[in-house]
Amino acid sequence: MKILIVEDEKPLSDSMVEYLAEEGHLCEAVYNYLDATEKITMYQYDCIVVDINLPDGNGLDLIRLIKRQSITLGIIIISALNSLENRIEGLEIGADHYLTKPFHLAELNAHLKSVNRRISYGGSNQIIFNEIKLIPEEHKAFVHDVEIVLTKKEYELLLFFISNKNKVITKAGLAEYLWGDYMDLADSYDFIYTHIKNLRQKLIKKGCEDYIKTIYGLGYKFGLN
Amino acid sequence: MRLLNKITLNLFAISLFIFMIGMVAFYYVLRQEVDSNINLELKKREISLNKEFDAAHSSISQTVNLSDTIIITPISQPRAAETFSDTLLFNPETSKYALYRQLGFVKTVHNQDYYIQIFKPLEETDRLIIRIIIMMNILIVVIILTLIIANRHSSRQDWKVFYDTIAKINNYDVNSHEEFMLQHSDIREFEDLNRVLSTMTERIKNDYLNLKEYIENASHEIQTPLAIINSKMELLLQSGDMKEKQYKTVADAYEASNRLSRLNKTLILLAKIENRQFPESKPVNPAFMINHQLESLEDLIHAKNITVVKHMEDEVTVLMNPYLAEILLVNLIKNALRHNITGGELNIELTKEHLKIANSGPQLQFDPEKLFKRFHTSSSSPESLGLGLSIVEKITTMYGFKVNYSYQNNMHVMEVVFLKA
Repeated sequence: MKILIVEDEKPLSDSMVEYLAEEGHLCEAVYNYLDATEKITMYQYDCIVVDINLPDGNGLDLIRLIKRQSITLGIIIISALNSLENRIEGLEIGADHYLTKPFHLAELNAHLKSVNRRISYGGSNQIIFNEIKLIPEEHKAFVHDVEIVLTKKEYELLLFFISNKNKVITKAGLAEYLWGDYMDLADSYDFIYTHIKNLRQKLIKKGCEDYIKTIYGLGYKFGLN
Repeated sequence: MRLLNKITLNLFAISLFIFMIGMVAFYYVLRQEVDSNINLELKKREISLNKEFDAAHSSISQTVNLSDTIIITPISQPRAAETFSDTLLFNPETSKYALYRQLGFVKTVHNQDYYIQIFKPLEETDRLIIRIIIMMNILIVVIILTLIIANRHSSRQDWKVFYDTIAKINNYDVNSHEEFMLQHSDIREFEDLNRVLSTMTERIKNDYLNLKEYIENASHEIQTPLAIINSKMELLLQSGDMKEKQYKTVADAYEASNRLSRLNKTLILLAKIENRQFPESKPVNPAFMINHQLESLEDLIHAKNITVVKHMEDEVTVLMNPYLAEILLVNLIKNALRHNITGGELNIELTKEHLKIANSGPQLQFDPEKLFKRFHTSSSSPESLGLGLSIVEKITTMYGFKVNYSYQNNMHVMEVVFLKA
């Protein structure tokens, strides 16, 4: 996936590039509005990550420009402004997702993947990880081609794990992905523990390998090793 | 006691005192006047009597028109020439003693001294005096009362501005977006007071707004560095070439910075609710939202083996910002789940008037008043920010709802009363 990152804070931009590059994406970073418009018109991207407050312009204008030129690409807004108006405006003019700073890289990654799926395959593709198969369109999960019944949160959890496979997933990142902002995380941790316990049981019962590893005090890792 | 009443009462007491002294003085002065008037008349009578005696002494047989109000007594010893005095005489007609003014004088007829007393009844004049006094009393009482009432009335008009100021200060809310306007008064003291108050509130409000703006800006500015810190630590955690001890260190730091992020986000939300930055309200359906939340929390409800009992009127709508309604309900429900016991109950009751969310649990170990205070966390959940119920309270206050806590039948009950009278 080819991603353009428009974020004026270089250290943050670097982090995103590094994380997403490890995921095998091709990332380019620009730090202002002008460079971003140039890149957009000259090259083709699958996704763009835009900060609203740029030194020489507004990220929302960039989105309007993209829509005017009928460029097809996924748009994720990242902003320190967490007002509802901004969120609504951003989504109304055509952004696919709105993330409030500070966010988790794993969260950004998961959203990027889901946006990409929607755009590239119309959401109708399958996500396959070894014996696990997910059909995002129908919110269905299969192990060895046998459907397993998951609750909504369990499904989202599994999707998040597979999107960030072989990465350390922090509890905080999980909680925010599953529950959104303004959640008192104290109980969300309990919730996550419960969800993971149930998910793991359901997967193992269907003969799935135990991919979920607990990293004490930190979170989880989903993967082979 | 109100100042106005105090002034009226003082005025009344003083008037009464002066009035009583004045009345006593007036009585004596009047008495004096009347007496001297009667004396004068008696004197005239004496002169005319003397004339009659002189004219008659040659022929004493001719009777003078002597009425029974004349007493003539022959005397041997000389007496004081003329004396006025008050005396009681028996009136045979009415068989009563009546008060008379008498003049006693000595008249010598044929070398014989006679002591002559002439009388004038005082009954009539006394009655007159009493009548005058009564009239005066009534008149003065009426005057005093009229004065007091008129004074009260006009004072009340003057004090109206003052009471208005008091009421406005009493209701003053530095968070309010209404302008602080005081009435004008033509009384200098009140005008001064209002001016001082206006400048003071203005200053307080400005200071408050500056402070608030500063905090908001600071909160927003903190977001970006926090995002950088978090992302860098996340990368560090992914690198995988750390020893376990280093992992632990980074994990702790990461946890702390995450806590800071959440805290900051929540505080910004609270500030926004206070600033009323969620203006657009529409009818939201709490029952729908509650069901949705319960659905997404079903795993946890199962895990804790909690029985959910719902009594909801599905068609109830509340006029609120949907986003805030969601936050309100989520916080209430999660609160009821978190503090629930394994195998406990969660009762949700929704009517047009109120929303009641009750959960099983042991009694609070602290003052329920503190529940809605910011950063109040119970020791059982140290990771909690302690802002959940504070958000609930802010949102309910913003919409003029009321939120009450009570403990009934081993259940914690949170009640949101939708006041839409």
